Amino acid sequence: MPTTEISWVESLRSASPAEQAVAMKSLRESLLKGLRIALGDRGDVGEAHLEDFAQEGLLRVLAKLDQFQGRSLFTTWAQSVALNNAFTELRRKRWKDVSLDALIEKGEHLAEPSTLPDDSLGNHEEQTKVVIAMRKAIAEELTPKQRAAIHAELGGMPFDQLCNLLGTSRNAGYKLLHDARRALKRRLEEAGISGNDIQTAFSS
Amino acid sequence: MNPDSQQLTPAQVSEFLRQIALTRDQEVDCSVCIQNIGEFTEKKIAGKELDVALANIEHHLSLCPECSEEYEALKKILEASR
Repeated sequence: MPTTEISWVESLRSASPAEQAVAMKSLRESLLKGLRIALGDRGDVGEAHLEDFAQEGLLRVLAKLDQFQGRSLFTTWAQSVALNNAFTELRRKRWKDVSLDALIEKGEHLAEPSTLPDDSLGNHEEQTKVVIAMRKAIAEELTPKQRAAIHAELGGMPFDQLCNLLGTSRNAGYKLLHDARRALKRRLEEAGISGNDIQTAFSS
Repeated sequence: MNPDSQQLTPAQVSEFLRQIALTRDQEVDCSVCIQNIGEFTEKKIAGKELDVALANIEHHLSLCPECSEEYEALKKILEASR
């Protein structure tokens, strides 16, 4: 088994099939052990899933070897790659039947009281004021795609799947949401509601 | 939330507002977070000080439930192997 960060990468890239096979077997076992620790207590993940995630994680690590920069232990980096793959798959399964049309349609209701009721945060005047201002800002500042993306994100839709449905790259998808949050924050500030006011409203 | 449901729960509204309150003009995205999550997690567990780049990762984690979920899972693995 490789014991240093450099030897892991070298062994996984080795021209010697035997050395490469030993490294891959060792890494796969390490990933499986980690996945058991991280996901073993979930009801929707059995041993067969863990085995699949370990194998897929190993392949993802091999495909991304060039991206390992040595700023963490190799095994830490490899586990993060395998976890990302496993979580992406688990989230995708839960949301596989949602269409873009349904996403956009739901987003169109985001600024309505049926989706965002006045008493969402409670019945205090300040809380209601923030929610009403938020609805107005959502209706007037955001595009249909931004409304759909926010609604989906709040509902837990996997970001990768959201981007696929919207037809954007991951970076473009993040920018879409970031621009929306910035626009809403600016609009609330213009209405005299600061970041602190917002935090007070939902923490009281 | 159920994928078919419409009305946001109080918890979702609170999360929405929390994200807006924490929004900065410049933020790192998920791909940068994933690339650096190993280093970030090791330093957090070791109690080491975070540089600006890793502080930006911490801010992203406070806004992104998915990256945060993956960070917690990685932390669990690293702590178990200590």
